[in-house]
Amino acid sequence: MPQQFEQPQSQTQETREDDVLAQSAPQSTDQTQDQSDVLDDILNDIESTLETNAEEYVNSFVQKGGE
Amino acid sequence: MPQLRDSGTRTLHATEPVPSAEMDGFCRIFGVETEYGVAVTGAEKPVDAGQVAMTMFQPIVSRSRSTNTYLTNGSRLYLDVGSHPEYATAEARAPHEALAQDLAGERVMRGLAGKAQAKLRETYGEHATIHVFKNNVDSAGHAFGCHENYLVRRFVPLEAVEHQLLPFLITRQLYTGAGRITPDGFQITQRADFLDEAVSSATTRSRPMVNTRDEPHADPDSFRRLHVIIGDSNRSQWATWMKLAVTHLVLCVIEEAFRRGEPSGFEDWAFIDPASANRAVSRFLDAPDAALPLVSGETVSALALQRRYFHAVALFVADHREAMDAAFAVNTSMVKHATDIAADVAADSPTTVILGEWDRALQALEAHDYETLADRVDWAAKRRVFEALRRRRPDVTSMQLEQLELDYHDVANGRLYDSLVSRGQLHQLMTRDEVERAVREAPQDTRAALRGRFVEAALASGVQFSAHWTHLTVTAPERREAILLDPFSAEATAEFEHLMALLGR
Repeated sequence: MPQQFEQPQSQTQETREDDVLAQSAPQSTDQTQDQSDVLDDILNDIESTLETNAEEYVNSFVQKGGE
Repeated sequence: MPQLRDSGTRTLHATEPVPSAEMDGFCRIFGVETEYGVAVTGAEKPVDAGQVAMTMFQPIVSRSRSTNTYLTNGSRLYLDVGSHPEYATAEARAPHEALAQDLAGERVMRGLAGKAQAKLRETYGEHATIHVFKNNVDSAGHAFGCHENYLVRRFVPLEAVEHQLLPFLITRQLYTGAGRITPDGFQITQRADFLDEAVSSATTRSRPMVNTRDEPHADPDSFRRLHVIIGDSNRSQWATWMKLAVTHLVLCVIEEAFRRGEPSGFEDWAFIDPASANRAVSRFLDAPDAALPLVSGETVSALALQRRYFHAVALFVADHREAMDAAFAVNTSMVKHATDIAADVAADSPTTVILGEWDRALQALEAHDYETLADRVDWAAKRRVFEALRRRRPDVTSMQLEQLELDYHDVANGRLYDSLVSRGQLHQLMTRDEVERAVREAPQDTRAALRGRFVEAALASGVQFSAHWTHLTVTAPERREAILLDPFSAEATAEFEHLMALLGR
């Protein structure tokens, strides 16, 4: 059964990376923008992540060994 | 971990003593080894994570005929036991440089995952997604590591590390912990519940906080390698930089004390039970003032003990600032375009900047003002987002929070960390250009520069070669080797020049 995972990015890996990195220096966040607005924006950014199957996502990560 | 020729330095030294010129000052070599976890979601049929890790390493195998290689930036990239991709940074002289190299590792992993994911989707469907977690615990409770390496002067005995440094390492997590949702609630560290021994020579059988395996990869009469296991993998650039920087300062105090045969002042701060102190620190948010018993009979809170270390180090720095700054040999071109903290490092005394950041972090903790730390400290950044999410969605499940917490550590496809960065909510100490350069280039002021040149030339000429921290070898058509025992030296030796001549350089 195909699992219904939202793919948050349809862009290629490289493009997305560029987008993120282009802003990697801390921006002078608009001082007038309330911190709670910024948090709202962040929650909007991750909304699609939360719509995936959380249990499936978490349980998919089983690693053995290491160190 | 695969061990290659690790005993080499000891036997080598028996015939070829190399007195180190770096014994007197505060110079140090820093390195970070990070194990990554791999998972796949969205696949149309079951897929084995180990197989995916192998797919990620396919380009490495076709290049090096092995899942273990060194890159042109001097770092080591390999597939560890249990299909952990692992990245060990090249030797760095400053925490800032080690941070650049560690971020280069994230970038390398992201690149390998991107290629492997494209391949995976041919078989497992267009939604198959590879997650590469820079964290320390999986969903089944397997723990894995982020190990810091510090070259420490041999005259510091291991007992001093255990008694004088370990209490610092345990309480340091107040601002370097990555945070994790556990069955016990939100803890500020990832690993505390998985570490049971204070100091030991093993890492896989038991879980020590400091490993004593003696592989200095340098003149063994002059140096030992301190292998710190207790730390979390950090996404916060500030946290990676801070843990290396502050630990270095504390080590400087301990080294100088033994050099002069005087007390360091840390003698009475050992915990009676380091493992339980460690677990208590991890539960800092539940009991910030928890009293931790010391061997001396006193009890002290984790934060108060950090404050004591801070005061002692600040006093020490006041007397040794110039020598300590000189030891960093800050490569100013590295920080030219960097952001505020890094710019301070260039303009001001780097040691002063570290003390300032340390003080500021402790002040915020003392004021219970965790919001202030959310732009620097991983656990505080996560906690702030989780609380905002709970306010917006009171019905959010703990599983969703766990997912989000993992997503923060996913260097391949994660959303949360990138969102925080792009919205200016997490301090960045490195520009994109600096990280890109660290992917390509080794630090120029350590042995890594020579290793990087060798790997680049060997790849270009197509010869068979192998490398190790202290050895560079062309294996065919003609075997020739150069041994580089001094990690502080980027100067080409005659042996190295011969090797390069064989490669047409």
